[in-house]
Amino acid sequence: MIEVEGLTKHYSDLRRGRLVAVDGISFRARPAEIFGLLGPNGAGKTTTLRILSTVLKPTAGRAAINGYDVLTQAAQVRRQIGFMSANTAVYDRMTAWETVEYFGRLHGIEGTALRNRMEAIFDRLQMNDFRDLLGAKMSTGMKQKVSVARSIVHDPPVLIFDEATAGLDVLAARALLKTVAELRDQGKCILYSTHIMREAEKLCDRVAILHRGKLLAEGGLDELRARHGEPDLEELFFQLIQNHDATVEATA
Amino acid sequence: MRWSNVKLILAREIRDQLRDRRTLFMIVVLPLLLYPLLGMSFFQISQFTGQHATQVLVIGARSLPVNPPLIENNRFAANLFNTPDRARLLDLEFASDELPPGETLDDVVRQAREQVEAGTYDAAIYFPADFAERLERFRQASAAQDVAVEDAHEPSAPAANKRSVKALPEIPRPEIIYTTANEQSQIAFAHLFSVLRRWNEAVGRTNLSAAGLPPAAARPFEIQTADLAEESGNAGAGFWARLLPVMLVLWALTGAFYPAVDLCAGEKERGTLETLLSSPARRSEIVLGKLVTIMLFSMTTAILNLVAMGFTGWLVLRHLPPAVGMPSLVSIVWLLVALVPVAALFSALCLAVAVLARSTKEGQYYLMPLMLVCLPLAILPTTPGVELTLGNSLVPVANVVFLLRALLEGDGWTALRFAAPVIGMTLVCCFLAVRWAVDQFNQETVLFRESERLDVVLWLRRLFRERQPTPSVAMALFAGVLILVIKFFFIVMSPVPDTFTVGYLAKSVIVTQLVVIVVPTLLLTFLLTRSPGRTFMLDHASWRPSVALAVLGAIALAVVLHPIVVTVAAGVAKLYPLGDDAQGLGHMLQQIPTPVFLFVLLPLLGVVPAVCEEFAFRGFILSGLRHSGKKWRAIVIAAIFFGLAHFIFQQSLVATMVGVVIGYIAVQSGNLLPCIAFHVVHNSLLVAVSRVAPVMEKLPSLNWILGPTGGELMYSLPVVITCGMLAGMILTWFARLPYQKTPEERLQEAIRRGIEADDEPLATPVA
Repeated sequence: MIEVEGLTKHYSDLRRGRLVAVDGISFRARPAEIFGLLGPNGAGKTTTLRILSTVLKPTAGRAAINGYDVLTQAAQVRRQIGFMSANTAVYDRMTAWETVEYFGRLHGIEGTALRNRMEAIFDRLQMNDFRDLLGAKMSTGMKQKVSVARSIVHDPPVLIFDEATAGLDVLAARALLKTVAELRDQGKCILYSTHIMREAEKLCDRVAILHRGKLLAEGGLDELRARHGEPDLEELFFQLIQNHDATVEATA
Repeated sequence: MRWSNVKLILAREIRDQLRDRRTLFMIVVLPLLLYPLLGMSFFQISQFTGQHATQVLVIGARSLPVNPPLIENNRFAANLFNTPDRARLLDLEFASDELPPGETLDDVVRQAREQVEAGTYDAAIYFPADFAERLERFRQASAAQDVAVEDAHEPSAPAANKRSVKALPEIPRPEIIYTTANEQSQIAFAHLFSVLRRWNEAVGRTNLSAAGLPPAAARPFEIQTADLAEESGNAGAGFWARLLPVMLVLWALTGAFYPAVDLCAGEKERGTLETLLSSPARRSEIVLGKLVTIMLFSMTTAILNLVAMGFTGWLVLRHLPPAVGMPSLVSIVWLLVALVPVAALFSALCLAVAVLARSTKEGQYYLMPLMLVCLPLAILPTTPGVELTLGNSLVPVANVVFLLRALLEGDGWTALRFAAPVIGMTLVCCFLAVRWAVDQFNQETVLFRESERLDVVLWLRRLFRERQPTPSVAMALFAGVLILVIKFFFIVMSPVPDTFTVGYLAKSVIVTQLVVIVVPTLLLTFLLTRSPGRTFMLDHASWRPSVALAVLGAIALAVVLHPIVVTVAAGVAKLYPLGDDAQGLGHMLQQIPTPVFLFVLLPLLGVVPAVCEEFAFRGFILSGLRHSGKKWRAIVIAAIFFGLAHFIFQQSLVATMVGVVIGYIAVQSGNLLPCIAFHVVHNSLLVAVSRVAPVMEKLPSLNWILGPTGGELMYSLPVVITCGMLAGMILTWFARLPYQKTPEERLQEAIRRGIEADDEPLATPVA
């Protein structure tokens, strides 16, 4: 369960002054649900997810994961989540097996329990043929698989994926989406950020559209389509953003 | 802190580094190759310098006497050198004895000067035309008469013993022409000088035998030397004591630097840092794991270098005259012991610096400034004549080198006496560097820094426009450093008088306080903060009913702490004696008439500095530092600045301790007035106690409180203990005051509670 309430993040910038990356957004993602965070580049998706993964601190507002506050109970939060983003790379000088094992042990799983869990994950993600390959020698798809394996090795109740299919070919991307859907079916609460509408349509149960740090719309896919009278998600997304930009310009 | 996580991170980092070819090369392969190469080039160079002959022009040589010979076979006589074969080191060229037509001897000498200047010859030696002739006349004259040596030390000796001495003919001096601007010329000069000196002695001996005296008459005794270091097998201790500590520091620093950059900036660059940060490992665990890795590599580098250099050195030294032996085993052990804190300090420092860098390339840039700071600190203690004192035992890096030098020189007592401050200071520095590194890891601006063009004007404008009610941590640190720098220049530039007068004292105290403390503090406060009242803890929010009580409590605390401070200060002064300046002031205070003392000096020394310093250190600096969210850290850092501003190290130590107490009063009462009250009373009592000595001598009945002990006025032990207990009670009262937390302190407390809850085995959500 992810609860976000009035979350705000400012950056200070020498030239542009105060930069509002996330502007008081609120949403909730429940277990056994894929919650899509949609937005163009620079919408504030990565900042939001970084706050949820406790790497950034919010300027205002509150976010909690399974009841743990991201600011004051960061260690507990990190134990509840599996976090994977374009910015969380794989170690160059470690093999796939070593990397996953390392993070498993950091989560306190040891011995045969860890081994069994890893064998299962390596089988499911079909990673056995590059088990002993160093990160530096892996292809993008392999790295992405290792990242997924790393983020689920401790079987966390909450998973956060940021642009998980970035740089993947169609085959690898399909395989990854299938894995994410399976994880949802296991009852995980999944926050999935993307700017690819096709992915969101196929995968997400509910979505929130983020633009310039503001939440423009939130709800189930069908609900949103009905509310805005637009069957195509991409069109809907485009309209919302255009309308928002127009109002901002008008008020300015 | 979970040690299993630290161990896990440590193991991974070590494996990671061992798989990196660059690191392995820098740490293992380089020293193994470097030193044999250095040794080889040393041989090459030494052969070169050993055999290179210098060119010397000899003017007026043909007229030199034959016995004893100066020149044989166109070289200086072999017996005038340490070893005969060294005669080859000087190539002689002889100026023609026939003067060219129209030239005088002076012209020849002038030409020789020009040629030495131009480098045609390395040096020239000129014997005046009548040198040999006069020398011969001297010999005849001295042989003809009885030469007696008049003993100037026995003026009362009987006149009969004195024999008249006829003046001997004077001999013109041969002249060596050389230039110190050229090293080869200096070498030629050294050779020439020693050759001439030996020849001079030989001539003297011949003259003595001509006069019928034994040659030994000119040198009645020889000097025998006994080098204890040689006897105890400690030869070369002085040499190694200067060389090895510096090398150790350099190795430890370079050994720490490269892994640090790879472990921090490298991880940032490769994008794995965010992966690690979103794992359950805590920042402190990550830092500690990385720190120990860096430390291991730093120590390995130093040890491998030591071994490689030692082995090469041993090979080289075997072929050299035994001037310097190998370092003793004991000194090697001390080096290894000292390596641990040195490596820890540098590792923590490098780690903190490396986190700042966005990329490995940027990280490499930081090596230079780090070296520039550390190198002078490491080399300073090898300067001849600089000894370990309390002052420099508190200078990081330098103090360890000092201590090592003392140990390697076999000066155990000095090492023992200063071991505590050196180890203490090193531990404090290690701790601070580690804390700094952990802080860096907690700062998202450091972890996700983006490059931004620097614009100083824009930055200053924004600093002013976006100023907060109270200063930020950085501003507080800046103020502290600024005060210290101004004070340093102030002290360096103001002359110290021979005698202290009231007028001088008044002027000096007021000007110092104004320039060093008041002006910078007020300027920074009005430029950088919105609410001076809040900054100085004197606005309406700082007024609570408890303030009046707190003022009384602070006064009482200052009174009961006074005997303790005096005792501690005396202890510090006994360990590390004070200079004459400070004692001169004490004398002056005793001689001033009572009314002047009471109405001029007491306010001047007791009140003025107390008020000014409180505004600066507990006002601006502490208020700013409290934004760090750590109350005690803020108090201690403000106290350290306060202590350092006293500049005399003995005073600084005591002032820092007092500063912690005042800082605590400031935080607990939330108002500056109790601090000022404490400071005024504390200072006044310290000034007054120096006046009390004559009074106490007249009142022996009161000596059970304050009596002369070992020539000084000291409080008796029961008084000190009672005061200690009373001080404890008053501090407990302060601890119970409901102090006002800053928002940062509240956040830190919440985070601490979160961590504590996480440490419990069964953590339950606290929603």
